[in-house]
Amino acid sequence: MITLSELTKDYGTTVAVDKLSLTVNAGEIYGFIGPNGAGKTTTIRMMGGILAPTSGSIVIGGVDMARNPVEGKRMIGFVPDRPFLYEKLTGMEFLEFSANLYNVRRGLFPEKAKRLLQQFALWTWADELIEAYSHGMKQRLIIAAALLHDPQILIIDEPMVGLDPEAVHMVKDILKDLAASQTTIFVSTHTLSIAEDLCHRIGLIHKGTLLAEGSLKELKQIARLGEARLEEVFLTIIKENTFL
Amino acid sequence: MKTLLSLIGPRVRSSLNSLTRGNRKNVWSRLVMFGGLGLLFWAGIFMIFYRVLLYFHSVQDFGDILAMKFVSMIILTFFMLLLFSNIINCLSHLYLSQDLPLLHSLPVSANDIFFSRWIISAFDSSWMILAFSLPVFLSYGIIFHTGIFYYAIFTTVMIFMCLIAAALSGILVLFGSKVLPAGRIRTILILLGALMMIVLIFVLRFTRPEQLVNPDSFASVVLYLNALKTPSSPVLPTTWITDAILAALKNDRATALLNAGLVVTFACMLVFISSMLARNMYFPGFSKSQMTPRRLFAPLRYKGFSWETLLNFLPRESKAFAVKEIRTFFRDSSQWPQLFLMTALIVIYIYNFSVLPLESYPIKTIYLQNVFSFLNIGLAAAVLAAVAARFVFPAVSMESEAFWIVQSAPVSIGNFLWIKFFLYYIPLMMMAEGLVVASNILLNVSDFMMLLSVLTVFFLVPAIVGLATGLGAVYADFKSENPANIVTGFGGLLFMILSFGLIALVIILEAGPVYTIFMADVLGKNLTALKILWAVLSFALAIFLCLLATFYPIHLGRKRLTVK
Repeated sequence: MITLSELTKDYGTTVAVDKLSLTVNAGEIYGFIGPNGAGKTTTIRMMGGILAPTSGSIVIGGVDMARNPVEGKRMIGFVPDRPFLYEKLTGMEFLEFSANLYNVRRGLFPEKAKRLLQQFALWTWADELIEAYSHGMKQRLIIAAALLHDPQILIIDEPMVGLDPEAVHMVKDILKDLAASQTTIFVSTHTLSIAEDLCHRIGLIHKGTLLAEGSLKELKQIARLGEARLEEVFLTIIKENTFL
Repeated sequence: MKTLLSLIGPRVRSSLNSLTRGNRKNVWSRLVMFGGLGLLFWAGIFMIFYRVLLYFHSVQDFGDILAMKFVSMIILTFFMLLLFSNIINCLSHLYLSQDLPLLHSLPVSANDIFFSRWIISAFDSSWMILAFSLPVFLSYGIIFHTGIFYYAIFTTVMIFMCLIAAALSGILVLFGSKVLPAGRIRTILILLGALMMIVLIFVLRFTRPEQLVNPDSFASVVLYLNALKTPSSPVLPTTWITDAILAALKNDRATALLNAGLVVTFACMLVFISSMLARNMYFPGFSKSQMTPRRLFAPLRYKGFSWETLLNFLPRESKAFAVKEIRTFFRDSSQWPQLFLMTALIVIYIYNFSVLPLESYPIKTIYLQNVFSFLNIGLAAAVLAAVAARFVFPAVSMESEAFWIVQSAPVSIGNFLWIKFFLYYIPLMMMAEGLVVASNILLNVSDFMMLLSVLTVFFLVPAIVGLATGLGAVYADFKSENPANIVTGFGGLLFMILSFGLIALVIILEAGPVYTIFMADVLGKNLTALKILWAVLSFALAIFLCLLATFYPIHLGRKRLTVK
């Protein structure tokens, strides 16, 4: 469902992403981990259509993002790392705005919006302006908006930032349920325990290059570690610069 | 003191860094451009005041009285402006700036934060008034042949007047923020300020000052002089400032020094009082400002009917953007005063045409009416350009950091810009056509001039809106804390120059053929083939220019915003 081929982003002074190739299948949760400045957010922004690659291609659900970005974006639910929203809209109005852009069936919208707002514990805040929301509430609202059009592909940058433990638990369950119903999920995170709990496969990026990829078990083999946590695997691969 | 300097440091360094780092050539070219414009404006003020005072001075007895009355009016106006801008700046700097939570987390006292912010706010509010008061009082100094004493007194009292206004504002804001959250106070103040401005505009206009140039109504000038009396209680600091300047002008040193002393000591006392108050009142007020006030107005609904249904004719994604744009625009309280002022100016604009004394001019009325009508096209377009600069040019930047929503949405940047274009095009077209039709009706112009005005405006509106949308996208700033102000930058200036240039070109292209057609009609002559060809070519070129201004800037904007 997601295919990145030789994806490169050169900012002139730095190559943020260097010939990155990977594939994520339908129903799979792919964790994208790496240290600060590794190129995670740049990759995600290119996948979301916010940044154009210097070279290489991104194919989303069979659609080449360079050729038909609008069609590609229709399939994506995008959640950025920082929750900037239209502060002067209410939560419900923002969902309505998203629903109109993503062509959610009019008859389905009220029920769906209510269900999502209740699910993300925002129902009582639905008619308050977003400027009154906390960081975590804005993050939950963005995730709710991203799910409104039942996206085939969900791209999330740091999904748990600003969420309380209960919300983290809830989001994890939602992502697992979505994957079970064949939604492709691409998650970038710093929180290794989340990647460990949630992801079917994990890609480790460092200095713009994919160093290792596979299930937790496969990564342990690459790092030549036995019963280790992802954190140890991560540190070993980064330290040894082990390539795929 | 060291803490205070450290707290002011980031502001000074940021300003210096913006000059010394990044694209230096760009920064310096802007600096030269704005510096040049400022200097021109400064020189303009000096010239006007010099000429007016020279004229006053030449009128025996009466002239000097008027010149002195003028000083008290200027001081009172400057003081009110200082007070208002200080209150708005104090609220922003002391309670609403984004870096305040960081500052309050630092191991510094709230009093130090208050003072560092108060100094920055006082500087921001005062430098421009100080700079532009200089040509005014310089012209007084030259006309009244004063010496160094006058300049020393004037400089001292002006600086301390700024301090008095800043300290008074600080005290008012400290008390205000105890009662209401700072955000709400700012909204109320902005509304009150706009209301005051509108009342002032109406009062000034409806007193019909043009009558004062009519010698028949000389008696009313005497009455006018009486009306010029400004509040001059001996306990008001503006009285001391005025008296100090007037005494220095007459070289009455004792009176000047006494009044200057009163100003200086009063300013010091106010700064001391504000410091005392800040110790106990600043932090609780700041804490209160962190709460979001409840919405001022409830959503507009009547028996389940809402205004959004009026936009149902639009395609779905366009309606989504339109509804979002209208909601965010009207909920942003900083936009309201601009709307009120715009409405007031339009009313005054139309009123001006209703009081034109056309019948008292010796030139044939029909000719004059049509000349006015033709000039009116340019005037209405200039009003349109000013409105577009304020509302349309910042429209793309208003998306601010939430622009990722547009970028990641299944809408092309081209569509997004065209949606923005039409959102402003429709109301501005109605406004501009309304202006020219209403003023033409008041002028009672010929059918040809009415048609020409309506058609010219019909082509100029999309051109100006396209120029504003496109250049607004080319020079978009999504990181600005106040996107509405980006019009004061280089892109805004370029827009104003290009839009006024376009209006002038269109008017020039139309002027010749219109005059020929009009005169042929008046004299009952037929137009030659060559003159018809000339008219057709001129009108075609004007239309081509308008179409170019409609489409090309949006194309440039699309290229600039398309992901790279």
